[in-house]
Amino acid sequence: MKWSNIRLIFLRELRDQLRDRRTLFTIVVLPMLLYPLLGITIFQVSQFRREHPTQVWLIGSGSLPATPALLDRERFSADFASAASSDLIRLHVDHQIPDEVITLGVRHVAEQAISDGTYDAVVFVPNEFASRLDEFRTWMGADRGGRDLQEADKFMVPQPEIFSNSANDKSAIAFQRVEIILRNWRDAIATANLRSSNIPIAARMPFEFRSTDLAVEASRNAAFWSKMLPFVVLVWALTGAFYPAVDLCAGEKERGTLETLLSSPALRGEIVWGKLLTVTVFSITTSMLNLLSLAFTGALFFRQINGAAGAPSLQMGLPPVSTIGWLLLALLPIAALFSALALGIAAFARSSKEGQYYLMPLLMITLPLMMLSMMPATELDLGTSLIPVTGMMLLLQALVDGDYATAGQFVVPVMGITGLCCWFAIRWAIDQFKNESVLFRESERFGLGVWLRHVVRDRGKYPTFGAGLLCGVLLLTIRFVGSTFATMPESWSDFVAMTLLTLIAFIGLPPLLMAFVLAKDPRATLGLKMPRLSTFPMAFLMAIVIHPVAKAFSDFVCRLYPISGEMTEQLTGMSTLINQAPGLWAIVLVMALTPAIFEELAFRGFILSSLLSRGNKWTAILLSSVFFGAAHGILQQSITAGALGLVIGYIAVQSRSILPAILFHFVYNSLSVSLGILLPNWLEQYPVLALFFTVSDMDFVYDWSIVAGSGVLSVLLFSWFSRGVFSKKHKVMAVEKRPLAGPVTNLTT
Amino acid sequence: MIRVENISKEYADLRTGQFVALGGISFHAEPGQIYGLLGPNGAGKTTALRILSTVLKPTGGSASINGSDVVTEAEAVRHQIGFVSNNTAVYDRMTAWEMVEYFGRLYGLDVELLRARMEAIFEQLQMNEIRDVLGGKMSTGMKQKVSIARAIVHDPPVLIFDEATVGLDVLVARALLESVSQLRENGKCILFSTHIMREAERLCDRVAIMHRGRVLAEGSLDELREQHDEPDLEELFFDLITAQECLAVA
Repeated sequence: MKWSNIRLIFLRELRDQLRDRRTLFTIVVLPMLLYPLLGITIFQVSQFRREHPTQVWLIGSGSLPATPALLDRERFSADFASAASSDLIRLHVDHQIPDEVITLGVRHVAEQAISDGTYDAVVFVPNEFASRLDEFRTWMGADRGGRDLQEADKFMVPQPEIFSNSANDKSAIAFQRVEIILRNWRDAIATANLRSSNIPIAARMPFEFRSTDLAVEASRNAAFWSKMLPFVVLVWALTGAFYPAVDLCAGEKERGTLETLLSSPALRGEIVWGKLLTVTVFSITTSMLNLLSLAFTGALFFRQINGAAGAPSLQMGLPPVSTIGWLLLALLPIAALFSALALGIAAFARSSKEGQYYLMPLLMITLPLMMLSMMPATELDLGTSLIPVTGMMLLLQALVDGDYATAGQFVVPVMGITGLCCWFAIRWAIDQFKNESVLFRESERFGLGVWLRHVVRDRGKYPTFGAGLLCGVLLLTIRFVGSTFATMPESWSDFVAMTLLTLIAFIGLPPLLMAFVLAKDPRATLGLKMPRLSTFPMAFLMAIVIHPVAKAFSDFVCRLYPISGEMTEQLTGMSTLINQAPGLWAIVLVMALTPAIFEELAFRGFILSSLLSRGNKWTAILLSSVFFGAAHGILQQSITAGALGLVIGYIAVQSRSILPAILFHFVYNSLSVSLGILLPNWLEQYPVLALFFTVSDMDFVYDWSIVAGSGVLSVLLFSWFSRGVFSKKHKVMAVEKRPLAGPVTNLTT
Repeated sequence: MIRVENISKEYADLRTGQFVALGGISFHAEPGQIYGLLGPNGAGKTTALRILSTVLKPTGGSASINGSDVVTEAEAVRHQIGFVSNNTAVYDRMTAWEMVEYFGRLYGLDVELLRARMEAIFEQLQMNEIRDVLGGKMSTGMKQKVSIARAIVHDPPVLIFDEATVGLDVLVARALLESVSQLRENGKCILFSTHIMREAERLCDRVAIMHRGRVLAEGSLDELREQHDEPDLEELFFDLITAQECLAVA
């Protein structure tokens, strides 16, 4: 690739986008207008809430007690309402309860009055309110020595009622204003009652809690902004990347200029890099302009709110200055990631209009990852740092918070995983630009019948890549739906029945059926061909040799993402069931042999074979491993199974058969289930084994020397699989794009 | 100069299973020659030209331009061709000068040489008036001129025109044909696809008549007239296509 070409394409695209009014509007004008407009709207609403007068209807003022007096002529008394508050309440007072209220009921009349806008709130004072209150006060003041508290029920005072409509803003504001005044008035009545009973006023509220916020203003600001700013920055980075990406890919297709560019000496990689740099620049610019506009509007907003007379002061200031720097630093990799994803997706669209539709799926994937970091219980640790986007958000939060120790601890994993995702996304975008069926995709009317006929009629020797993906998604869906109906087995026989049903009916059967329907050679598709005999002992050996490393990895994963209490309980329950098995042979049969056969038929048989039809061995192995891992249900198990899926997939591809993969799977599972059971007895019989294993409960740990040795030997065995036997022949397979068991005959001759 | 040997191109198709866009076509074109690909819409002309311009890869067969294979030496091929497509393919937000300069630099031309060539081309194609006009504000004729200027800026030995006169008015189309003719005089090897017989008669030295991805007849215009005993190219074309359609129905 030539940097001069990348630079040339980048500068052209940049100039092109800067001359596009729509892009400029989205990137420059929108952020400049959006936040000030939002700020003005919020300010207007708060002004409205503060200054708009409300109409209140007080019914039955004649039943109010003379003291303390709630009203002073036609206004609320200054003892209970501030002058400003009284000015904002237009009070209409009815001394007696009107006839219509008596006839129709107060609720009905109040509802009518609020809904037709005559009043915003209605206060109803029931008849005999004052007299009953007076009776209660007299009873309270009487000197009766030992009081009979049950007698107090006789003096139940009828309750005044405030009618309002919380769905109506004006009515809600009226309620808030009136409620404060009535509470003050009620407190005054309570105080008077206590006084008349010769009880100290302090009896009503003997003490109060004092609260002291130890946070200094700067850290309080940081805590607020650290949640908000990374979210704003990342959302706009994604949006800012998407629109230019659509214009630079789908737009170019639409205008016909892409074909001309593709026939120029610029390589596809150079074109993608040039466009990627442009999109990244726009992504960063959009995000930073939004940030600056938000900060500027925020500063003005807080000043206005805090400076307004009578308004409660907002205890919030601007974010620390260093925030801008951290956000900008984090933006570089994350904007590149979003830009590459947007570019890859936009390349698929035939037109700009179609491209716009693809924004939603991208948002649906990335938004939950962003939201995850904002959940109260989510903290930056090794586990969360390895989640793309979430890790970056949490790192930013730590940096804005000023928690540099935590941030420094996890900056490498966060940057590492972001960089890795970025690399994959860029590779994908370049692949998209090399793919004729993506670049010159033409519209085709889709019909289910036509498609089904096409699938069966035009099936090849092996299923297509899409069939592999479909099978993977289908298995995961069945697994998910099945798990919602599954109940915890209560005995060993229940456990056996459930395991066999899951493995045979839900994991094994769908790919078997699909192999017969979607491929002309089901046997070859499922990899059921005899490989070289030497692969069997090597697969057997590999399973034993890799076990310590895999076990150590599994333990590491469990430390990284601790298993929840509920899940631990379930696993313990499962262990109890396993203990009921008639013997180790039964456990091995159910938990090692059966999964080895049916999971391999599904994941290394049908799925891997189908995915290999695109000719990229590593993509196929990786995707089949992801499906294999995800099918395990529990996150910790999924990660380990996914990693082992890579190994088994590699063995299957290199040996052109799933039979060695089945053997590996069987031996590995057998070791996993039997060592936990056998080791405690073995250690008693042969204490020397304690040098290699540590046993606790039903679990065990390999000594580090065993793990290290296992690692070295695994690498050697890998090299046997990769170089010793099949290297040249594998290239033949990749070029011919033949799936798993395709070239066996050629290779063995 | 251009060697096409039995190239084919197939696409997966929902309805028919496999759609054969090119069923194995062959032809040769030499320097100083205009080779016409004639055929109705959907004959496979654009697919063939896209393969020769390395935008698509053939499913079978081979093709080379000036000795470079279009699949294995795609980069070398791209340096030796200029491609003018049927939709002018002009950037809306670039001026004529910027566009030609952009492609000249992509072809790796030295700044001084590029400037000199651009001045000459703008003069030759009478484009100085639209030098600073944005693509979006140009007429179709102007756009096609820019498209030609862009294709010849690096002085390639081979030029590919894909139905370049579609949508042009008579005056502009005639000017374009004259430009193409002039390029032949300069020794360029030109591949010119069209479905307008008058253009082919006026311009092409040799032609291949294509239909449904196959070459039905190939040779110089005189050879074709003689072989098929039909002096009028349009009638000849019509007879060949009709006969092919009848065969397909039968």
